[in-house]
Amino acid sequence: MNCEVCQLKELEVEHFEIREVLRCILHTIVFHRALGLVRPKDVDLELFEITYVQCGDVELEKKIDEKIDQFISWVEKHPNKKSQICLSFYEVKSKQPSWFTNKTERLYWEQWYVNLNVTQHPKHLSSKLHHTKVVVDPGESATEERSSRRAMVEASLREVLFQIIKFVNEKKDHVPPISEGVIYFPYEITMPSSSDSAFGMDMIKRMLHSGHPTMLS
Amino acid sequence: MDRESGKLEQIVSQFRSKILHVILNSRVPSLHHHCQQQEPVSLSRVRKSDKWFNLVLGDRAAALENLNFSLRNLLDPMIIDIILVHRSSCSSPLDNLYTPSAAVGSPSDETVIERWVVQYDCTRFNATPTGADTSSSYKKTYKKSIILLRSLFAQMRLLPAYRIFRQLSSLSQTYNFDLVYKVSSFSHPFSREEEGAMKEYSFVPVEAFPGRLCVSVTYCTALSDFNLEPLVSLPSNIITDYVGSPTTDPMRSFPSSEKNFHATSFSIRGVRPPSSSPFQRPHSWSSGFYKGLPLMQNQSLAGSPPAYRTSPKPYDVASPQSDMYGNRIRNRLPTLQQATAYDEYQLSPPFSTSASPSPPAYFSGANLVVAHHCSETAPVTIPFQLTGRNSLYLSPNSSDPNRHSLPPLSPRSSKHDASSQESPSGIRSCRKLEAQRAGESPSGLSINYSAQKMVRDSKDDSGQFSGLLSSSGSPRIGFSRSSSRLSFQDDMDDCEFSCPFDVDDIDVSDSPASQNVEGRKASDFTAQSVPVADALEELKSYREMRDLLLSKSGIQVVRKEGM
Repeated sequence: MNCEVCQLKELEVEHFEIREVLRCILHTIVFHRALGLVRPKDVDLELFEITYVQCGDVELEKKIDEKIDQFISWVEKHPNKKSQICLSFYEVKSKQPSWFTNKTERLYWEQWYVNLNVTQHPKHLSSKLHHTKVVVDPGESATEERSSRRAMVEASLREVLFQIIKFVNEKKDHVPPISEGVIYFPYEITMPSSSDSAFGMDMIKRMLHSGHPTMLS
Repeated sequence: MDRESGKLEQIVSQFRSKILHVILNSRVPSLHHHCQQQEPVSLSRVRKSDKWFNLVLGDRAAALENLNFSLRNLLDPMIIDIILVHRSSCSSPLDNLYTPSAAVGSPSDETVIERWVVQYDCTRFNATPTGADTSSSYKKTYKKSIILLRSLFAQMRLLPAYRIFRQLSSLSQTYNFDLVYKVSSFSHPFSREEEGAMKEYSFVPVEAFPGRLCVSVTYCTALSDFNLEPLVSLPSNIITDYVGSPTTDPMRSFPSSEKNFHATSFSIRGVRPPSSSPFQRPHSWSSGFYKGLPLMQNQSLAGSPPAYRTSPKPYDVASPQSDMYGNRIRNRLPTLQQATAYDEYQLSPPFSTSASPSPPAYFSGANLVVAHHCSETAPVTIPFQLTGRNSLYLSPNSSDPNRHSLPPLSPRSSKHDASSQESPSGIRSCRKLEAQRAGESPSGLSINYSAQKMVRDSKDDSGQFSGLLSSSGSPRIGFSRSSSRLSFQDDMDDCEFSCPFDVDDIDVSDSPASQNVEGRKASDFTAQSVPVADALEELKSYREMRDLLLSKSGIQVVRKEGM
């Protein structure tokens, strides 16, 4: 089975926007892969005029929130770094047990890469300008800049969501059959850990399992 | 193979229904509210019909059920237009009353902001799957349909129209726009200008041998030009001394005071003020509770939105345009015209009592409309014959609590109404739309509809109607087959003479005769209808008698007076 990979458009977000943006993207992806019986739940973002859909599973929501918390912690420790979160869907296949391998293996059939560029908070920028003794009007211009920036992020996020929908529509053949009683396919959210090398090892491991070279832009 | 094709046909049919449900739930405020007001049932107890494509949306409104019934031909495309209707702020029902020409709105008041096309395309030849593949082909089709529906559901929230839908769905504000829909099997192509402002998106078709399921949407990209202004609602005001105009429909019934009706600003714009609504029905969103109301059975033609258009009909309180109760009510409230396609009058109940046939919902909705309309005037005493007629007209079955004082019609009419959905879906809508756009009097169209319905209804409910006529003793209801407006108007005018508005009635209780208790029998006091002149005469005669008696016992009187 092929492993379809989707590299989502990079988003430039601020620290306080990470949670909302990630929730929106991850839940949208999972909703399209939660092919079991669901009662969709509309969720309005607070920072943007976007409504996304959750599949309504409380457990899933909790797990995604945990992963987002982990990611935010990582970002705080590694500021000004481009980061990537990988959401993978796999099938569990049993295989011949051996000395070095488990009885089951994961066959990844789809991977989504969420690319984020977390920028500094504007407050830091304004304080720098103050030190350089540049006369800056903090009033309207800051507000306008903030709102235009916010509009750009919103537009980019909307593009990413359309990208997800387009990908989901174009590629359906690789999706495994739906199991009875299962709401969503087994999934895995991977993010950069405290050491970048470990993250790289995770990526290589996944490549070996999927049997398909990962498309890296 | 037949079994497989049967399953595939079922998938295609349910797919269309589900898509319709998804689209209208995400675009029609009242249907959305209906959905929201349902108590969420656990997934294990969801109805079978709602489990299709593993997407639980809640019970379908009656309107959707009727639409599904009407669009049974799977080979016909299902075209769903989402129309933004703009009401000019200066128009009012009174304006429309005196300037009927203004009732016909210009096409520019309505804008198709989205057009969804769902089609089972069999034109392209698909390779016949082999025996082994056939059994799994419908499973693959089903799986891919699930995915397509997921993406459609998500996309509906990203398109520009969703923002407008959310604004108009807001219960705290009313706007000068409405979102209505039209479903048909054909549509008028967009003009070049319109096309220029629209984009198209096509979902990847799902293979469903021998054809494929195709879904596409053409949508307006820029809706910011539509200035959605919140309306300023008028404060509720009870007109205590209102006695009604001479042309007031005497047939309407006035709800009792404990029903919690009171005047609202609804009558003017058909929108509910931000303040609490007198209606606590769970399904209707009275900001145009005419919108997205359950489909009226007799108008359930998928393609025929008798009143989705925006142009306000004459606000004609006095002259119903047809002898059909429902249509008359519709014409009375012009904003109701601008309801979502069919969904005008079916308020409430049917949603919660979804087991019941839809048509009672239609009529009950109409009744509720009447009730609501009537609630704007102070209650007046209605002669028994009128109320009696009303109760006979309407079904005595008032089991639904939401129907307040007006009982619903019997289910017989609803059963018959279902048959009316078999007509070609798009034809009537086109006819109606063209007629309306041509400036034809809406009364004529509604008369046609009502006449048709009348004929049908009379077939099944003849017992009831004929009984009504015989009991009333006069053809006041006007169930004439001609359904002519004038004849019905005349009939209604006749009723007025027996209403209590006549000022010539004299209240005998205030006459001087009533003050003289001595020698008077109790029954005399009940003669309040005796004219004053007669009372005076009687008084004179009593005085004479008194004098006579006194004269006979004159010594005794003098003695008493001297004391």
